[in-house]
Amino acid sequence: MANEGSNTETLAPAEPHLFENRHVDASQHHPASYAPTTNGSEAVSWTVHSSTGNGIYSNPTYQYDQHPQPPGRSIQDGQNVTSVAGNSSNLGTANVTQDYNAYASYPSSSNPYGYGSVGYSGYYNNYQQQPNHTYSQPVGAYQNTQPVGAYQNTGAPYQPISSFQNTGSYAGSASYSSTYYNPADYQNTGGYQNSSGYGNQATMWNNGSYPSHPYTNYAPDSSGSYGSGAATTPVQYQQQYKQWADYYNQTEVSCAPGTENLSVTSSSTLGCPIPAVTSGYATPNSQPPQSYPPYWRQESNSSAIPFQPAAVNSGDHDGYWKHGAQSSQIQQTNPIQPNYQSPLDLKSSYDKFQDQQQTVSSQGTNLYFPLPPPPPLPSQQVNPPPVQSAPSSDAKRVSTLQIPTNPRIASNLTFGQPKAEKDNSITSSAPKPAYIAVSLPKPTEKVSSNDAANSILKPGMFPKSLRGYVERALSRCKDDKQMAACQAVMKEMITKATADGTLNTRNWDMEPLFPMPDADVINKDSLSSAQDSLLPKFKKSPKRFKSRWEPLPEEKVADNPELISNNTVKYSGWVPNERDRKVAVENKESKEGGFRNTKFSPILQRLSSKTPQRPFKKQRLTDASENGDTSSDSDKEQSLTVYYSAAMAFSDSPEERKRRENRSKRFDLGQGHRSENNYLRKKNAGAGNLYNRRASAFGLTKSFEDGISKAVEDIDWDALTVKGTCQEIEKRYLRLTSAPDPATVRPEEVLEKALLTVQNSQKNYLYKCDQLKSIRQDLTVQRIRNQLTVKVYETHARLALEFGDLPEYNQCQSQLKTLYAEGIEGSDMEFAAYNLLCVILHSNNNRDLVASMARLSHEAKKDEAVKHALAVRAAVTSGNYIAFFRLYKAAPNLNTCLMDLYVEKMRYKAVSCMCRSYRPTLPVSYISQVLGFSSDERETDAAFEECLEWLKAHGATIITDNNGDMVVETKVSLSNLFVPEPEDAVAHGDANLAVKDFFARAPPPPS
Amino acid sequence: MAYMSMGEAHRRVTEFLNRFSDAISCQDGASFKSLFSLSSNSPFLLSLADALNLIQDAATTRLINQSDNYSQFADILLPLFRSIQTYRQGNLLEAYNAFEKTANAFIQEFRNWESAWALKTLYVIVYDIRVLAEKADRELASNGKSPEKLKGAGSVLMKVFGTLAGKGSKRVGALYVTCQLFKIYFKLGTVHLCRSVIRSIETARIFDFEEFPKRDKVTYMYYTGRLEVFNENFPAADYKLSYALTYCNPQSEANIRMILKHLIPVKLSIGILPKHSLLEKYNLLEYSDIVQALRRGDLRLLRGALQDHEDQFLRSGVYLVLEKLELQVYQRLVKKIYNIQKQKDPSKAHQVKLEVIVKAMKWLEIDMDVDEVECIMAILIYKNLIKGYFAHKSKVVVLSKADPFPKLNGKPVSS
Repeated sequence: MANEGSNTETLAPAEPHLFENRHVDASQHHPASYAPTTNGSEAVSWTVHSSTGNGIYSNPTYQYDQHPQPPGRSIQDGQNVTSVAGNSSNLGTANVTQDYNAYASYPSSSNPYGYGSVGYSGYYNNYQQQPNHTYSQPVGAYQNTQPVGAYQNTGAPYQPISSFQNTGSYAGSASYSSTYYNPADYQNTGGYQNSSGYGNQATMWNNGSYPSHPYTNYAPDSSGSYGSGAATTPVQYQQQYKQWADYYNQTEVSCAPGTENLSVTSSSTLGCPIPAVTSGYATPNSQPPQSYPPYWRQESNSSAIPFQPAAVNSGDHDGYWKHGAQSSQIQQTNPIQPNYQSPLDLKSSYDKFQDQQQTVSSQGTNLYFPLPPPPPLPSQQVNPPPVQSAPSSDAKRVSTLQIPTNPRIASNLTFGQPKAEKDNSITSSAPKPAYIAVSLPKPTEKVSSNDAANSILKPGMFPKSLRGYVERALSRCKDDKQMAACQAVMKEMITKATADGTLNTRNWDMEPLFPMPDADVINKDSLSSAQDSLLPKFKKSPKRFKSRWEPLPEEKVADNPELISNNTVKYSGWVPNERDRKVAVENKESKEGGFRNTKFSPILQRLSSKTPQRPFKKQRLTDASENGDTSSDSDKEQSLTVYYSAAMAFSDSPEERKRRENRSKRFDLGQGHRSENNYLRKKNAGAGNLYNRRASAFGLTKSFEDGISKAVEDIDWDALTVKGTCQEIEKRYLRLTSAPDPATVRPEEVLEKALLTVQNSQKNYLYKCDQLKSIRQDLTVQRIRNQLTVKVYETHARLALEFGDLPEYNQCQSQLKTLYAEGIEGSDMEFAAYNLLCVILHSNNNRDLVASMARLSHEAKKDEAVKHALAVRAAVTSGNYIAFFRLYKAAPNLNTCLMDLYVEKMRYKAVSCMCRSYRPTLPVSYISQVLGFSSDERETDAAFEECLEWLKAHGATIITDNNGDMVVETKVSLSNLFVPEPEDAVAHGDANLAVKDFFARAPPPPS
Repeated sequence: MAYMSMGEAHRRVTEFLNRFSDAISCQDGASFKSLFSLSSNSPFLLSLADALNLIQDAATTRLINQSDNYSQFADILLPLFRSIQTYRQGNLLEAYNAFEKTANAFIQEFRNWESAWALKTLYVIVYDIRVLAEKADRELASNGKSPEKLKGAGSVLMKVFGTLAGKGSKRVGALYVTCQLFKIYFKLGTVHLCRSVIRSIETARIFDFEEFPKRDKVTYMYYTGRLEVFNENFPAADYKLSYALTYCNPQSEANIRMILKHLIPVKLSIGILPKHSLLEKYNLLEYSDIVQALRRGDLRLLRGALQDHEDQFLRSGVYLVLEKLELQVYQRLVKKIYNIQKQKDPSKAHQVKLEVIVKAMKWLEIDMDVDEVECIMAILIYKNLIKGYFAHKSKVVVLSKADPFPKLNGKPVSS
């Protein structure tokens, strides 16, 4: 894995600090280590820690400053790696030390964030890294997992064999307890703040090394919860431990079917959901339970919390749930609590949610706390009461509540367990917190832009056209509320424009009016107090929670790897208007809280709305084209969409304008029909849902591929299928890095038109390829498999053949194969012929060839194209160049194109053969005629010249014989023949990828 | 079985459990393996299945849990019971799923046993899981679902292979599993997956190939020989298939026939023709026309034979090999012309006019014009099937005086 590689590379920088810290921690905490009796004292120590931690928390810097992290993280990863590597052979104590590495890394890491976050980054890194490790290093995987404390819980139990070693170490260890206590230490400081810190980190990671963070989740929870759990009830731990053991057993079994080593990590995350499996693991793993408790406690508390919502779905786990609840309770009582209010959004949001859900009333103020927020104590305090009051019954609820705090965990664990989630949601009236995970750290630019907005909004600074635009916009408003909303939106727009310098350059006269913001939303969200706005929504949600609940866990998923990146890239960039507007609105009313609001809003939105999303694709397009018009600004988008804007040059056409108008109108009209409140955020929410759903689905399949197919069957693919709403006919292909957004996906009718457009287009292949790929993508994400699909793939395959784009052709061909196999009609004969030709000419694999020949039906063998292909095959296998070039000239359909790609090889073979066989000479004219240089339509002279050039280029010796004819002197040539380097060769082997070429073929820039 | 009392049912289950634990405690591989052999349809297992039908699952579980001797193998026993029961009921899919669980649990246990006493049992499981998977796939396919169980069985077998492939006494069993894997892969058409297994077998230094059981060696050589046929690596294919033929049990004619089916094309392409009696004996008459064509230089006969048995040859994967025999047929034809010319006029015999060959083709009702025949001659010379050269101007094949038609003598046609 890429991550891994980089990590290992960065091993070197492992800091000395880490080790120091490590040891220090160890020593400190040994005394504190968990003898159950010493709880009281421990609690005290923790409180102290926590207090310090709080002090550190208030550090404002860490929230948005994400940049320094990556290096730190990589370093820590490196460390982890080393520790892992060493660990595989190590037992007991050695493990402990390494554990320390992981934990110790906090203080030493170079994060500006303040202590908690720093610690977490390290901590977190460990987790993150390990999954990678396990994947890449099947054998060593479990060993790796062992060293890291928190992770062990998850990892160790799964590997039946190797884990034993560790267990041994556990048993003996006071050392272990110490390791875990260290976390306790940092818990206080880092515990939950870290979780918030995760948010930031998550973003970073998403951007960079995205795929697997499964274990990261554990980190935050474990620390925080652990502290709490430890303090209060040792007994409880035991219970939990048991649960865990059971749990592990189950998971372990799930691992078993697959290749154990490989699937360890994946199965472990996913394995959790599988309740039915009996425990193969428990028996072999005979560890003294006493040794565990400390160790487990952590986990149980920590991981239990995150897990509950996601992982543990089945009723079997009721006990488990309860424990989770208990632990959560404990947490609140814990001194660590202050930590909870981490300045980060996640954290805060979490608190808020809890507050709102439970006590609704005044705590809502938390929602908008200032950027460098001091820990909002009230909210926390609020939390405990409800939980404690109804601990057992609320267990699920509590767990769900906690979900938000650890988006990571939720994401990983929630995979494929939407159903379980449903259950949760049913029992608990607080699904919302899950959404919190969505809260997206805003790109810093926006902050600045907001500030700037305030200053810039002074009169006199606007261009005239802008004023006109504002007037136009305001004239649409029907009442004061709307007016206010519009104003807010426009301020945001202006801010944005100012920020990217387009304020004066933009053609405000042409600027399409933004859709009417819904006054209510704005009122609720930004104008009036935040609590008011949020609460009603929450109340709403329970009614529909079924439909909405499902996406929730996924949302978190999306959050981790994908959504966040999307936010920065997509939302900020492509949909700047809406989003920014929103922000502006909120800013206006409550400057400081604005951020949070915006972040939340999409989430909430999602809860309350499931109406179709507004296609924000369009917005992006128009945006791009506008930028293109003004062209002076250096918006990032522009560079992205230059090509597209070219393609979209027509966007200024009256037709397009009309459409735009309609589009904006429909928002005015659609009130009854769609819940307008939400539309601003809808797209976010919708996108998030899909991302999540997709991600979860993928995650499931991926991790279960090796092992258990059962879970795969559980995926409700139908539920994940996107229904597109985009009406744009043209759409640029962008490889999806996340779940598709229905707003950017075109429904079937539109795709049909799009196909026609492409077919009739005069543009070059690259354009068409791009368009077709996007059509294919849309078809795929909507799971449309019918004649249209076949047509699209056939069209693309043909175009690719004409252009000689074999890779693309192969993609289409393989799709077509399955489509035809499903019985969908098309030109299957034609493509059977292509397939044959492709196999014989390009893959050169006899087994494949025989297989595809054997597959041909009798009717197929009677088909002209197939017959031709078979004949070509025979000619090639026998080396019969005469037959080959005759067939070349008589090729039906696009068979010629495929043969084209083989002509050079065939000619060379033929000439080699001729030089070997013919003596003393062979006339060039004969070669020209035989090897397909000449044809009926061509001048023989030209063909002759070409052939002559070709022969010379390949090293043939040509002389003039007595009659004055040019002849090849075969004997001399035989040893001199060679295949020249193609002139247009490129290093990477695919001339189509040559940059120069690409630019040359790209459509001309818009005039 | 018309009726069975509850007590009888319990007795049977208990008897099975007793046999199970006795076999383990005595390390009695022979009786142990019979407990797993679903496909053997042994009366004991069938009656057990009937008994299981009668007893509730909970009761079965209780029976297993009544003694530590059984309960420690509950992971094996429970799914095994389920599998036996559902297999009897004809629910092959469920039988497979349960059996796979049994297999996995068994592998786990097997690893912990120091000696290889249960190797035979493992064989039975490996075999049965493959057979069951095939049956389950058939059931799936008939229900319109995608058959994927055989693939699943393949990955289970890979795991088994992993347990055996190390050193030690269990190593002996590796080849058997390999052969079962081959069967699966050839059936699934995922032959490329064989490569890793082969590498692990052939590169292992600690274990000499000859130490494997003979029957496994034969099977292994048969499959790897077939792979070599695909690769058109004829000498290697010849070696492997000949090995298989040599050591194959002479009684099992079906196996010999299967080997010959692939060996004959290989032998043909290195210039060795079988006797007609051999083809008759093993009912391989589809090759007789081809052999005849090679003897006579009769291209039409060859093409006709290929066409007649196309499906068959394509399925067994030898079509392309046979098709390449065309060149040898051409060679034979030219040689015949040469011989006739030599009888007429020995001094000019080494010059074969192109038009003569074209005429011969016409007699064979093969539609080829001068250019194409010329091309064929060039190829024959190029591939060293004819020694000599072609004079383009005069359209004459000029044959070497010495050995103009070199025999292949066990070497493949040069490419």
